[in-house]
Amino acid sequence: MVQITRGQWAGAGTSLDFKTGSWRSTQRPVHIHAKAPCHVSCPAGEDQQAWFALLQEHRAEEAWASLVNANPMPGVTGRVCPHPCETACNRVQVDGALAIHNVERWLGDEAVRLGWDYPVVAPADNAPTVAIVGAGPGGLSAAYHCVRLGLKAEIFEALPEAGGLLRSALPPTRLPRAALDREIDRIIALPGITLNLRQRLGRDITIDSLRERFDAVLLSPGCELPKPWSVKGAVPADLHEGLQLLRDFMDHGALPDNAKGDVIVHGGGNTAMDICRIVKRSGAKSVTLITASGLPGPNTAPDDLINVVPRELEEAREEGIEIIDHATVSRLIMKGSRVTGVEIISLKKESGKDGRKRRVEFEGTERVVSVDMVVPCVGEQVEPEAFEGYLDGAYFWPDNIYGRMAPRVFAIGDARGSRGTVAAAIGDGRLAAEAVVAELAGEIDPPADARPTMEADGLNTAYYANADRTRVLKLAVSERTFEAEIEGAISRTEALAEAQRCLSCGNCLACDNCWTMCPDNAVIKTTELATDGSHYVFDYDFCKGCGLCTQECPTGYIQSVAETN
Amino acid sequence: MAKSDTSKRLSELRMKHGRPPASPSEPKAERAATLREAQPRFRGLESGHRACQGCGEALAARLVMEGAGPDVMVANATGCLEVFTTPWPQSAWRVPWIHSLFENSAAVASGMESAMKAKGKHTKVLSFGGDGGTYDIGFQALSGMLERHHNVLYVTYDNEAYMNTGIQRSSSTPHAASTTTSPAGKERMGKRHLKKDLLSIIAAHHIPYAASASVAYPGDLQRKVRYAMGVEGPTFLVIHSPCPLGWKHDSAMTIEVARRGVQCGLFPLVELERGALTNIMPIREPRPVADYLELQGRFAHLFNKNDYRAQEELDHLQALADHNIETYGLRGEGLDPVDSTGAGHVRRGGPLAGRS
Repeated sequence: MVQITRGQWAGAGTSLDFKTGSWRSTQRPVHIHAKAPCHVSCPAGEDQQAWFALLQEHRAEEAWASLVNANPMPGVTGRVCPHPCETACNRVQVDGALAIHNVERWLGDEAVRLGWDYPVVAPADNAPTVAIVGAGPGGLSAAYHCVRLGLKAEIFEALPEAGGLLRSALPPTRLPRAALDREIDRIIALPGITLNLRQRLGRDITIDSLRERFDAVLLSPGCELPKPWSVKGAVPADLHEGLQLLRDFMDHGALPDNAKGDVIVHGGGNTAMDICRIVKRSGAKSVTLITASGLPGPNTAPDDLINVVPRELEEAREEGIEIIDHATVSRLIMKGSRVTGVEIISLKKESGKDGRKRRVEFEGTERVVSVDMVVPCVGEQVEPEAFEGYLDGAYFWPDNIYGRMAPRVFAIGDARGSRGTVAAAIGDGRLAAEAVVAELAGEIDPPADARPTMEADGLNTAYYANADRTRVLKLAVSERTFEAEIEGAISRTEALAEAQRCLSCGNCLACDNCWTMCPDNAVIKTTELATDGSHYVFDYDFCKGCGLCTQECPTGYIQSVAETN
Repeated sequence: MAKSDTSKRLSELRMKHGRPPASPSEPKAERAATLREAQPRFRGLESGHRACQGCGEALAARLVMEGAGPDVMVANATGCLEVFTTPWPQSAWRVPWIHSLFENSAAVASGMESAMKAKGKHTKVLSFGGDGGTYDIGFQALSGMLERHHNVLYVTYDNEAYMNTGIQRSSSTPHAASTTTSPAGKERMGKRHLKKDLLSIIAAHHIPYAASASVAYPGDLQRKVRYAMGVEGPTFLVIHSPCPLGWKHDSAMTIEVARRGVQCGLFPLVELERGALTNIMPIREPRPVADYLELQGRFAHLFNKNDYRAQEELDHLQALADHNIETYGLRGEGLDPVDSTGAGHVRRGGPLAGRS
């Protein structure tokens, strides 16, 4: 402190010599990067908040580059994903979730249209090579992430085309083939990726031979075999299983004759929903979905909710699909070997003695309806051929998030048993590729992201302007065909406007609130010295710890922690 | 002053404050600016002042100085602001600053302004006081300054009591607030009298510009400062500045308290030119006054469920807020980007209001 004596002529000493930071007794403000809930809930591991932040600055290409660090197929997932990110979005508490999937799709399509390059460099010639079984979304994602991380990838696909379930089981009304091909072609054209078609495991190659020839093996065969379905032992002679029916329809464009009558679909997933809509569109008299799950409603428990893309459900009901929820088929009524009716019984998942949920059928709720066709869509399992020694029952069931089954052997996607979305398969591809890199480097596992999650009560919503979610056009019911995509695209203007709705949960919005509202001038604005990705640093020499910046930070990025001095 | 003199003076100020030169021909500051010195705003009131944690007045004064800019001089009445910024031998001010007596900052400012005029300089004179030094003790000097039409911006930091001497009631203390000289108890529910409507008295002087602002809306506050700085003649600004100590609220809640004060209508944000109401900040959805009062210990007795007088006083304060909303026409019509809700909104990169 500069001391001047009474009577001495001098400029006044500056108060900067007095460090009011020593007054802090209980708390100090710090920057804490929390995970936004969209990121936490994304099976593909995208950080939506991060790419929306770039989009808010109109940096679309960088936003896309940030997105494809996790998910190389935003054009696909933007169309088919059930978007748990939108369910988790904190903006639900303000005026409705962000239209994340629409913007994701726009970014994916923009990248194709403008030829943005994937942020990868060609792997070295002597880089380790990873064998990948199956060219579905999981396998393609794994190959992409291997290349992104400096490895080479060689894919073995049994069919003559890459795409897996995206090609065989997703109707063009949800995923136009052009959109799918564009993105897949761009991925397999990346340097370091080799695609071998018509190579079936067990016939042309074996896991053991792959393990010998390659540095690691990733298994993403998908689930091709329908789960066995019968009702108390009865199976109709002319049974058409859901996924097979869907594949046949996509190959030949025709359905069996009895699909013209009254059809019952038994199941509760996206395939069941697709079957219902295709059968209805081809002229069925009536289509009824019987599902053991519940429909969305204010009192529906999350684990009871039907597992389909919400807008698909909405569109199906617009098209006249009947849905009987909390019910199952309890008896088939046969005339000879043909089904003429089914008995339906109400059920619900109830907690048993051990706390685990089990299905309880309610006696006395049986009713009989006459039908012409029953289509089971109760799920698929791994085709077991050639996977002997790796499967645990119907699936791989790895006991770790990386999918490690054996040293340098990993399982990806639906075949794991605990998955069920394209996004999860894409996320598995990334996790497995990262684990391969760590394992080849002699490390155990990649470091986990230990950041906390920013919930809605951590935000100060007084600072967010109301803005309605972008309305997206879709085809009217009367105009829907088997080919035309139902949900429309959004424009650049709409995408950028939607991006402005992102609350930036848990991450700096650069809004200047802390800088403007500090009574002690103890927030310093800088981009050079702020090493934590914000625009501000705290000057603890002068911060008195009042907590005002913490209170007025819109995003919860500033938090008060106990003073340690 | 000739134009070249002005630019020379600004260049000197830029050097002195370590700011980058305006053109390559200008001299650079002698040393590299520190991060603090290189802040993209004028720091008229620096760190190291001794205000309490979360002080609304320190925040308001900092915002005023930023908006007023470097070419100003300040006359400051006795009070918190004077005491916490200038503990001998230090000062937090980075402009010429004179401490007047409690009652005469307007008179001292008048003299400073006349001296500048005599010297042919255009440095703007600011006069600062708290509500005690403005509503009560310095009122006559202020009235004189306005009447003589001095080119001074008078700013009163209204924390609604004599906080520096230990929370005694002033004529600005709102009705029913408890202070050490208007304690809530058996006899009375806090202050018996009403808050003085100073702005109307000021406006009756027919001065070019008088306005009220709040620390909850820094953008609005600084717009009013800048507007007043451009006016030749007496201008007046009253700034609602919560005092965590005297109002007995958490130091982190200063802005929230101020925001609710505006949104409930108890502290209307208005602008008057030549005595006529020319602008207001509309209230999008008026909040109940209880939202504002419940955060503050000085109104805690209004929430005593066992006291029949509590509800009566709550209703009284609600009626006063409704009266303000009616009198000034504060009720908003639809969404306005600068109403009491929209004015706070931000987006990436800063405040939303005023951007395309």
